[in-house]
Amino acid sequence: MLEGKLEQASLFKKIVDAVKELVQDCNFDCSDSGIALQAMDTSHVSLVSLLLNADGFSEYRCDRNIALGLNLTSLTKILRCGNNEDMLTLEAQENPDSLTVRFENTQQDRMSEYALKLMDIDQEHLGIPETEYAATITLPSAEFQRICRDMSAISESITIECTKAGVKFSCEGDIGNGSVTLKPSASADHPEAATKIELSEPVSLTLSTKYLLNFCKATGLSPSVSLKLADENPILVEYPLASGHLRFYLAPKLDE
Amino acid sequence: MSLYQFLIAVRQQDGQQLMNESGETTSHLMGMFYRTLRIVDNGIKPVYVFDGHPPRMKNGELAKRYVRREEAVKQMEDAKETGDAEKLDKFTRRTVRVTREQNEEAKKLLKLMGIPYVDAPCEAEAQCAALAKAGKVFAAASEDMDTLCFSTPVLLRHLTFSEQRKMPITEVELLKSLEGLELSMPQFVDLCILLGCDYLEPIKGVGPATALKLIKEHKNLEGVIAHIKANPESRFKIPEVWPFEDARDLFLNPEIQDTETLDLKWEEPDVPGLVEYLVKDKGFNEERVLAGAARLKKNLKTAQQGRLDGFFKVVGTSSSTPSAKRKAADNAKGDKGKKAKGKKK
Repeated sequence: MLEGKLEQASLFKKIVDAVKELVQDCNFDCSDSGIALQAMDTSHVSLVSLLLNADGFSEYRCDRNIALGLNLTSLTKILRCGNNEDMLTLEAQENPDSLTVRFENTQQDRMSEYALKLMDIDQEHLGIPETEYAATITLPSAEFQRICRDMSAISESITIECTKAGVKFSCEGDIGNGSVTLKPSASADHPEAATKIELSEPVSLTLSTKYLLNFCKATGLSPSVSLKLADENPILVEYPLASGHLRFYLAPKLDE
Repeated sequence: MSLYQFLIAVRQQDGQQLMNESGETTSHLMGMFYRTLRIVDNGIKPVYVFDGHPPRMKNGELAKRYVRREEAVKQMEDAKETGDAEKLDKFTRRTVRVTREQNEEAKKLLKLMGIPYVDAPCEAEAQCAALAKAGKVFAAASEDMDTLCFSTPVLLRHLTFSEQRKMPITEVELLKSLEGLELSMPQFVDLCILLGCDYLEPIKGVGPATALKLIKEHKNLEGVIAHIKANPESRFKIPEVWPFEDARDLFLNPEIQDTETLDLKWEEPDVPGLVEYLVKDKGFNEERVLAGAARLKKNLKTAQQGRLDGFFKVVGTSSSTPSAKRKAADNAKGDKGKKAKGKKK
């Protein structure tokens, strides 16, 4: 049986909100080390990979590995029944038919419990090869979201170009073009507001604005985000969690 | 295939085909032009494949189609006499034939649009499958299930159906279908021959379920035939002349152009050429042709969205652990799916 308790329901809500933009149904793989999820969108262009380590839960136990097949739209409906500050408990029996979701408010005088029916999902697992990334850019997640949002009004794709001097986001559309350049900056008081660039060689990738914008739904999960790039390889957009991570991979657009 | 559709479907309200001032039919060009634009707008780079000469074994099927057309011509004449407009329209549509000139016109149009095309030496489906197998294209788009027998890795159906029909595009993966049917590729081809293809008469009384059972039991067509012959009282009758080996050979070793020598290139559309041809010769609206050419140019420039499949490899599957009850229900569903897959056309 599985039992996992999170101090704040908002964490799980935000994760599900970010993932449901890309996939409708997926398996949550639960083991004694934590809860993991890996899924591709229907057009096989992007992949989301979530890891919630057991020590990120205030209480966690999972006796046997189980895969919980969930419809994320339905899960969202259930999660809306709880407040952000509520304590959230996920519970499933051996060979479960449903997942039990329990909310307890901070005063501990209100407890609500919902059961969500499970689905049978056969999901392919992809092996992600170790990639030597040419560039790793760490920047405030809100900044990344703003760039994607601004550029989505202009073009269907964004080109990310990284050199020693800085990182340049640019786009070109019917109405015109635009670019944003960020230089490495350090801030002693707010380390999460810093922009850092680790670079072994200059790199440039062109990516779909629509997908990047979907990834940005995870902005609330972490103050900073890291982008890892290698030529002609999928970009890795990673939001670190207190104990775990939410990663998105996106295949680049290729010139013929 | 497509040209037939256009000549049949692209018509004015009075049921007449579209024509230019000098009375030449333009339905096929109209259809070709706008369908290609729609494909390109959706980020797909198409390659058209034209049929070559039909294989000898298709003569029977073609003769049948000829007879049907002749019948339709007769019925059309009848309808004309009785003045039944609805019937007249119906049978006129059945008498349609694509002429060699119309084929050439379509190719000329594609060339001006900068869209590559391939002349298949024989069956176009076989060439499509070969292109997909060689990785020159992602998938073969056809309504004809034969394409799977020519072993295309991916078949797309309903790709160009009207959006109003709300018909989802079906993607059939050959490997997964074989896995689901638990058949090898030669067995799958045998199964399809048993169910009836363009080259051979089907065996009466053999539906998808029986055919699958027969092939599984007797491994291949030789086995199935031996079984039927050994049981004269069985309800199945094999036609006297039934050269299934030849049909099998057509599927497994089709006559195709070597894909390595084919250079598929999407080029800038020749705008003045398009205007000259479509507007001056064929009486198209100039504004629309120019707008179409602009769309072609724009989409040619945009980079192609890559897929993750090339980078990440499948290492396993995770299945949610269903309870016994749900598992039973799921199995029942799975069986149905298999049957549907086995069905041809």
